[in-house]
Amino acid sequence: MITQRGFLVMFSGVLLLASGFSFVNWYLTVIGVYLLVGLVVTLPLFAMTANIAGIEVERDVDKTQVFSGDFLRVKVTIHNRSRRHFDFIEVHDAYPETWILAIGENFMASRIEPGRSITFSYILQARMRGRYELGPTNVIMRDRLGFHYYTRSLVAPTEVLVYPTWKDVRRLEALGKQRQLGLMFGSHRTKIVGMGTEFAGFREYVPGDPFRLIDWKSSARRGEMVVKQFEMEKNVQIVCMVDTSGSMGNGYPENTKLEYAIRAAVMLTHMGLEKNDLVGTCVFSDGVHSYVPPGTLQTHMYDVLETLAMAEPKGWSNFEAAIDYVVQRTRKRTVFFWLTDLEESPAPLLNAMKTLVANGHRAFVISPFGPWFEAPVGQFGPVERVLSEAVSEELWERRGKISRALARFGIPVVNVGPEDFLPTIIRMYEQAKQKGVGLV
Amino acid sequence: MKVVTWILRILSTAAFIGMCYLVYTIMDVNGVWGWAAPYEFVVTVFRLLSLFFFFLTMILMYGLSSMFMGAQGADQIAVNIYNTLVLRMWYMQPYGVDSPIVSVGEVFSRFGQDFAVILDILWNNTFLFLYFLCAGIGVALFLQSIYRLEHKFVGGAFVAIQAILLIAAAQSYIMATVSYTLPDFPNGFPLDFVAFLGGQVQIVALVSFAYLEISYQMIYSNSVGKPVEDREETLKKQLLALRQATRKQDAIEKGEKVSTTGMSRSSGAIAFSFLREAIERKVIGSQSALENLDAVADVRRLQIFVDELLSADPNARDELTAKAASPSSSYVIGSTVLGSVIRFTSVVAVSFILMSPLVLLSAMDLPPGIANSVELVQPEIVLLFLVPIVLLFPFAASVIGWITGREETEEIKLTKEEKEELKKKKKEFEQRKKDAAKARKARETARKERKKEEEADEWDKALEEIYRG
Repeated sequence: MITQRGFLVMFSGVLLLASGFSFVNWYLTVIGVYLLVGLVVTLPLFAMTANIAGIEVERDVDKTQVFSGDFLRVKVTIHNRSRRHFDFIEVHDAYPETWILAIGENFMASRIEPGRSITFSYILQARMRGRYELGPTNVIMRDRLGFHYYTRSLVAPTEVLVYPTWKDVRRLEALGKQRQLGLMFGSHRTKIVGMGTEFAGFREYVPGDPFRLIDWKSSARRGEMVVKQFEMEKNVQIVCMVDTSGSMGNGYPENTKLEYAIRAAVMLTHMGLEKNDLVGTCVFSDGVHSYVPPGTLQTHMYDVLETLAMAEPKGWSNFEAAIDYVVQRTRKRTVFFWLTDLEESPAPLLNAMKTLVANGHRAFVISPFGPWFEAPVGQFGPVERVLSEAVSEELWERRGKISRALARFGIPVVNVGPEDFLPTIIRMYEQAKQKGVGLV
Repeated sequence: MKVVTWILRILSTAAFIGMCYLVYTIMDVNGVWGWAAPYEFVVTVFRLLSLFFFFLTMILMYGLSSMFMGAQGADQIAVNIYNTLVLRMWYMQPYGVDSPIVSVGEVFSRFGQDFAVILDILWNNTFLFLYFLCAGIGVALFLQSIYRLEHKFVGGAFVAIQAILLIAAAQSYIMATVSYTLPDFPNGFPLDFVAFLGGQVQIVALVSFAYLEISYQMIYSNSVGKPVEDREETLKKQLLALRQATRKQDAIEKGEKVSTTGMSRSSGAIAFSFLREAIERKVIGSQSALENLDAVADVRRLQIFVDELLSADPNARDELTAKAASPSSSYVIGSTVLGSVIRFTSVVAVSFILMSPLVLLSAMDLPPGIANSVELVQPEIVLLFLVPIVLLFPFAASVIGWITGREETEEIKLTKEEKEELKKKKKEFEQRKKDAAKARKARETARKERKKEEEADEWDKALEEIYRG
């Protein structure tokens, strides 16, 4: 293959040659011939020596599973397995477009001797959750003068799974530290009075109470019979229903409704696991894409993260299919957190909720309100502003109807924006814990 | 590698000076390089423009005078205006009228004569001007090539200097007499290789070609060593910028005052995309911007990541800079000299064979009609062998490439199970898509039918149903 500068040399050669013919001058002819011959004379030699098949590329990454926003070192090693040197070799290692090159360069140019290796590395920041591939590595080999080149794409992709961001959990932990210092009030464990071993207080004796519960000292002091009360800590079972329909993908990149829903699901799972609650996750749209049943195993968090990492906004919301699927697999009473924008028809949603309630479960709907996730009204022109306000009003009215309809089943609907999405999920979780819904 | 590049820079400069000197001496017979040529050319161009302007001014004045005074008085008024205003104030008088005029007709009669004279002067000066222009462009591009080390400047400098000889050849072809003699083989291409090598044509051509070769080698040595040096430099700047950014954040958090501009520019943070983004997010530099915790955390975490990496892996820094990729200077020098000698020798030898087909044709025992043909001594005869032989090289290269299987790209080899799984997944996905489309269609139809029946909102209807239930 001739490079652009090779073509320029060819053009100059032809120009001089043609001028030599036109003006009957041997000098111009000679220099034109020199350029043309000089361009091609070493080409067979280059083709013979530049056997790019002798180049092997290896790519190493520190880890193949990272959180969004984490840093990753990529190490690329180029081996020259042939017995010839390569005068000029360029190596470009491709990385996903959404990632950021934090330190170093993903490009190297040098010459490489036979049997030798070159290693270069660079640091990337993984920006968005999902499954990504690093690579391919493009190797371009040029001759010394840069007239000719051969290129080869070495298909050696390295798969990297990027989990949803962990920053919310980090922040929550930072808040937790403050809470430990008594600066904040947090959630309390749901307690059942009457069983267990932890002392809860005294109450008056009621006929039928076991004698062993009577506290004789206190009874003597008070002059009436009192019994000791004990309490037992109970855990709740939660299933986080993450809607991944196409409409959930609306909003600014990295700040779509779905991204917030995923962040909320991660946080909810983390909080649940911290408090020994059973938290499951169901990712659905027109069908159930994946379901992680409630659990407390050490690997549970990673199962949830992997499930959420692969979620893509597409299709429509089939609430009925989702709830049927989950209810069939859930025997215990469960509290469902629906993270959905409710942009589907009412009938399937109401049917799903009926099924849910009929099976003795409880639910909360945390619904991102579309207009709050899209461009701020301030950025619009007058016409767009009026239109967007009209649309917002209509949507809001619809939300009101949805809330009223779901309230009949005792299911609260909370409309959230980007700012209050995560605080809302924390609040709702704490409410569920305090009220003891979904106790197992 | 810097030393090698500098040696080649010096050699390239020497070759360029040599090429320029040869071209200069070729053209410098009877003082062709008149140093006043560019000035004269520019003056002539302005004289021509001035002539046009003067002519238009006169027509305009005459026209305006005619409008107001009528044809009788217009002539006199135009002349008076010219004599009082134009003639006194106009410094350059290229039109040949240097005294007061008595009739407008004088202007028109002189215009034709003067126009032809100026065009003639312009034509004579044009070639000289072009020589200077090409030389100027050539020198400018050469200086750029030495500084920037880019192929386009080297090629441009070479073509610009060769263009002088090209234009000279054109001039000597167009004009019957010129004062210089261009390098040529007046008796046709020499059959003797030694005579070919010793001629002026060969000396100029070889020096010119040498300039091109050495300059390209210079660029090669730079491009093979510079990326490593650049990487090292970039890494240093990035690490410094990162450290300063982290310190700055600490200072802001502590409530200390920090300068807002010094860090980024002096330490190259502008060139550091990661920090640049952080700066754009207004993280670094202002107290209020600390609200953007993500970006602050990102910078800090990157700092921790890099620190841990550098302390845990002793080779990390070398790998980030790709220090091991730097080629040895001695090897580059050796290969440069050897490569250039091979190229030079082969180019001269192959070119000689191509350009002197008589040597080959004599062996073919051609009929006298062809053997004594006048075409055989014309430069165009070069094409007889040039085209097929020049095309032979790329052909040979592609045959070699085909044999060695160079163009093949590696592909991931999937196992049978993996292929089947992939197929199954695809099938499932397709099915799911179909089902979803079907369901959506059914719902849409149902919705339309409902809408036909009544215009009430579907949520209102749902609410009513619930309340009824």
